[in-house]
Amino acid sequence: MTLRNALFGLYALACLGAMTWPGYAAFGNRIEPYVLGLPFSFFWVVAWVVATFVVLVIYHNTGEKDG
Amino acid sequence: MPASWIVIGISVAYLVVSLAVGMWPGRKASGTTAGYVAGDRSLGLLVMYFITGATIFSSFAFLGGPGWAYSRGAAAFYILGYGALGFVPFYFLGPRAARLGRKYGFVSQAEMIAQRYGMRSIAGVMAVISVAAFIPYLGIQIKGAGYVLFAVTHGQLPVWLGGALVYGVVLIYVLRSGVLGVGWTNTFQGIFMMLLAWGLGLYLPYKLYGGVQPMFEQIAAQQPQHLLAPGLNSAGESWSWGEYSSAVLMSIIGFSVWPHLFMKAFTAKDERTLRRTVVLYPTFQVFLVPLFLIGFAGVNFGSVPETADQILPHMLMNMEIPAVLVGLFCAGALAASMSSGDAMVHAAAAIAVRDGGVHALGWNLDDAAQRKWIRIAVVVVLLGSYLLTVFYKGDLVSLLLWAYGPVGQFFPVVVATLFWKRATGAGVLAGLLAGGTVTVLFTLYSGLRPWPLHAGIYGVVVNVVLLIIVSMATSRSLKTQNQDYLDVAGTAS
Repeated sequence: MTLRNALFGLYALACLGAMTWPGYAAFGNRIEPYVLGLPFSFFWVVAWVVATFVVLVIYHNTGEKDG
Repeated sequence: MPASWIVIGISVAYLVVSLAVGMWPGRKASGTTAGYVAGDRSLGLLVMYFITGATIFSSFAFLGGPGWAYSRGAAAFYILGYGALGFVPFYFLGPRAARLGRKYGFVSQAEMIAQRYGMRSIAGVMAVISVAAFIPYLGIQIKGAGYVLFAVTHGQLPVWLGGALVYGVVLIYVLRSGVLGVGWTNTFQGIFMMLLAWGLGLYLPYKLYGGVQPMFEQIAAQQPQHLLAPGLNSAGESWSWGEYSSAVLMSIIGFSVWPHLFMKAFTAKDERTLRRTVVLYPTFQVFLVPLFLIGFAGVNFGSVPETADQILPHMLMNMEIPAVLVGLFCAGALAASMSSGDAMVHAAAAIAVRDGGVHALGWNLDDAAQRKWIRIAVVVVLLGSYLLTVFYKGDLVSLLLWAYGPVGQFFPVVVATLFWKRATGAGVLAGLLAGGTVTVLFTLYSGLRPWPLHAGIYGVVVNVVLLIIVSMATSRSLKTQNQDYLDVAGTAS
């Protein structure tokens, strides 16, 4: 397994943990502070969706050129 | 109260435009089954983006998304949560499937799997599960469309007639243009829905509460638990973290193997397009945010709709807003219904004929005959779903839950087929049948579950265990692995 794949796998696990118990319950599940008008619990999930997009862009662009 | 004729006028105009957009590609596709079902494997990034994104923007998202946020609060975030990773497996599965499709001429998921093991029964089992899942799913889309027209015409257009009208349009362009018609209308409808969702999602909080944050502050002051995960269950009691988390996990597992989504691997023009579609997918997911804002705007709206799913039309019909806006909403809801429904009709018909008829039952049909039968199946599937919505008095969503768990069982099967050299047909079939049975059992008798987790999770565990054990036990006796197939897929030893 390459470093690139290992890092991507780690991110996927972290993201899954952050979207569910225990990560979400421990870090994301609060009403304040409000970010962009959203309660933090809502913003937390949106932020991970955006982070996944960024990570996918990086993962895709560092892959083999034929892919 | 908005003038009905403006609302109806906009809706009808929208249906006409959709029809025109959907009819136009029929000239371009070749007259083959690969042309009708897989668009001659020619779809570029723009159409692929919207054709996969449209699976999010179904009637469920457009009416159910606000409904969940309204009635179940933070539980709705689970839909957003699984979407982040839900399509990621396709980044690895899609290109392999596409290579095999090009080489062997596959247009459906089940035939891709059955081919490796040379077992017809696998195609048959998958075809039965798929079609059984699509009919109630499609029924929900038809009912959604019918309900919207019913609401905005103040009951002048009954649900059965509204549904028939909208799906008559879908029938025409799916019959004529196949997957290309589906793709181009989804592109057009997707752009329209994005604009509309953001428009309404920001307009309603501002109009009702003076902004997004003031709206949430008001909810937080009165019922803070509404904004905290895991939110509420359908009975209005607090949901458990186990149920929430396993629902996210099961949705991630099942998402990319839904047949109408998976078979789009065979429509992309190259692997790069497929991968880029997955990379861009979370950007589509962000458009659920305004839909949730709409639902939260309903929490302190004052009056209460008949059911939670009707919160959006309920607010629109009880506010002083321009008829044009209501008309646009109506068109948007129709777009949501049509853009998911068309892909399902098309997929269900292709699967019934290719996997059920040709592969499992061994019908000997040439290419022209297959196309003819797929078109006939389109009519049969649509009619079946339509009759189900008209005559079935029970809850369609619970029918769908029955089917949803078994579809998730395709995931271990697809992964093993594309990535595991030692997988055997017997292992795949055993996993599929046992996993599906466990899921249906635990969905029916949810009290029997050892822990309060999504029924599909238990199915997947049983599925994986059986797939591995039975494959290991039978792989020695199989001297002839399908080496050519494994080479094309690039399956490592």
